[in-house]
Amino acid sequence: MAAAYSDVGYRRIQLLKKTLVQIVLLFIAFVVFFPIMWMISQSLTPNSEVWDWPPQFIPQHPTLENYQTLFTRQDLAIGHWFVNSLFVSTITTILTLFITSLAAYSFARLRFPGRDIIFFIMLSALVIPAQVTLIPIFLLMRDFKWLDTYHALIWPAMANVFAVFMLRQFFLGIPRELEEAAILDGATRFGIYWRIILPMSSSALTALAIFVFLGSWNDLFWPLIVLNRLEMRTLPVGLTVLSSAYYTREQSLVQAGAVIASVPVLIFYAFFQRQILKGITFTGMAGM
Amino acid sequence: MQKVATGPTLQGRIGQFQFTLRRQEAVTGFLFILPFVAFFVIFRVWPAIQAILMSFRQWEVLMPEHPYIGLNNFRELMNDDLWWLSLRNTSLFAVLTVIGNTLISLAAALVVIQPIRFQTLYRVVFYAPVLLSVSSVCVIWSWILNKEFGVLNYFLSKFGIAPVPWTADPNIVIPSLSLVTIWWGFGFPMLVFMAGLQAIPEHLYEAAKIDGANAWQRFRFVTLPLLRPTILFVTVTQFIAHLQVFGQSFIITGGGPGRSSYTVIMHLYYTAWRFYRMGYGAAMAVALGIVMIVLTLIQFRFFGRREEE
Repeated sequence: MAAAYSDVGYRRIQLLKKTLVQIVLLFIAFVVFFPIMWMISQSLTPNSEVWDWPPQFIPQHPTLENYQTLFTRQDLAIGHWFVNSLFVSTITTILTLFITSLAAYSFARLRFPGRDIIFFIMLSALVIPAQVTLIPIFLLMRDFKWLDTYHALIWPAMANVFAVFMLRQFFLGIPRELEEAAILDGATRFGIYWRIILPMSSSALTALAIFVFLGSWNDLFWPLIVLNRLEMRTLPVGLTVLSSAYYTREQSLVQAGAVIASVPVLIFYAFFQRQILKGITFTGMAGM
Repeated sequence: MQKVATGPTLQGRIGQFQFTLRRQEAVTGFLFILPFVAFFVIFRVWPAIQAILMSFRQWEVLMPEHPYIGLNNFRELMNDDLWWLSLRNTSLFAVLTVIGNTLISLAAALVVIQPIRFQTLYRVVFYAPVLLSVSSVCVIWSWILNKEFGVLNYFLSKFGIAPVPWTADPNIVIPSLSLVTIWWGFGFPMLVFMAGLQAIPEHLYEAAKIDGANAWQRFRFVTLPLLRPTILFVTVTQFIAHLQVFGQSFIITGGGPGRSSYTVIMHLYYTAWRFYRMGYGAAMAVALGIVMIVLTLIQFRFFGRREEE
């Protein structure tokens, strides 16, 4: 009997401990997520009420007028910014994936003179920080007459050594037998790359695509330098302008801008969180 | 005799065939890397060389000539008070952020790797801020950190704490920006630590348990030593990444108050793109690049040692 009692007691203590841990963790998760909820809540509050003290945690008069203003005001072009960001990120991702995977396949499988030396030179270039190359690439863009165009955002991103490195590692892990069978059937090298290697690497390609897309979507410094006209800006650049111009007067408008820049990504994340977390870990590990 | 006669011919033909195949493979191989190598040379190799060459020239955008001036740019850099101030601010920011980030992400990884309820929810929530752009993060936080109307000071006032000038006090502004950055970024090292923790063999923990080690001792004598390479990887890569801080200062404080959150990349931005002093900017970028390369090499050294062990 005594043993049974103490067993019940032990279980109760364990349950209590678990519950306490969960309460603490849920609280921490709430704190971490709070700024995002706060941004959304403020964007739905009329501008006159964001200055209330104590703050309105749930808007008392929820409104979409901030979004309406953002899209209709002449001195803002958030519709353009959104389209620019989406276009540039999508094209950059597709082109980067194609160009780097083609090179990675060649480095992994095809034999040609100088292959390993070229690969080694490429890897050593990873050591050079991107900051060093900013000014010369900017001047190059100016000479190409690419400043203030999509070209300036898309093409420099193709020199993604890390992507080639990561994909090569992945391709090396694919068994050769499949390719050899295809060669006997008369497939071309490009056919093998396109129909065998790429489909078999969908997990690595997805991971890389997410990585490249987010990098492009969220980049601030480079677009800030090479873009000038209001309607050419991407969302992160537009947001800095919005926040510096309207910060003091129209806070809820600025928050609505941040929502437009971040909520599409967060919704996508909510649906594909498993793949994204796995993919990020995978690409992050390749960096090790 | 006939066999001997046909043998070399057949072999010769096979050899010929193999040679053609190999040449074809080499040509294909070159063609496949060609687009990438072209971009690599144009946007990586050439600009890197160009940056070094420019750093020895007085290269102003509006001037037709770019005369060679030897080490003058670097000499000017050594006497540039703003450069040293920005380097000091940036280092302080990077150190604070790396310490905070490493501790918090390691703690988070240790928790979410346990088989607890809502495990996925915690992982998803902790990683969510990483997906935001620096602009969104700064817009959100400059409002939260607002001294008069910010919600953070509102919460603190509930505990009787007077309004803190998060971004208006020269002594607090860098820790504030660090706080924002840790919130934004700790999810990534968390994932790296999770992968590192998963690689630790379970039987080591069981052996430690049998030897009577408690949870703390298991962490101290099993987890921590085996996680050392991961910790080193995280701290060095994070430190290099945070030396490049720009958006946080640019958007939240504009480098202020005064120059107290003025960063190295901000100095580069103003030198090259506001004052159009490209040569001096290149010298600055090269100097920063050398610092980062040294850090990277130190990291490689430590990693090399791990493989020797």
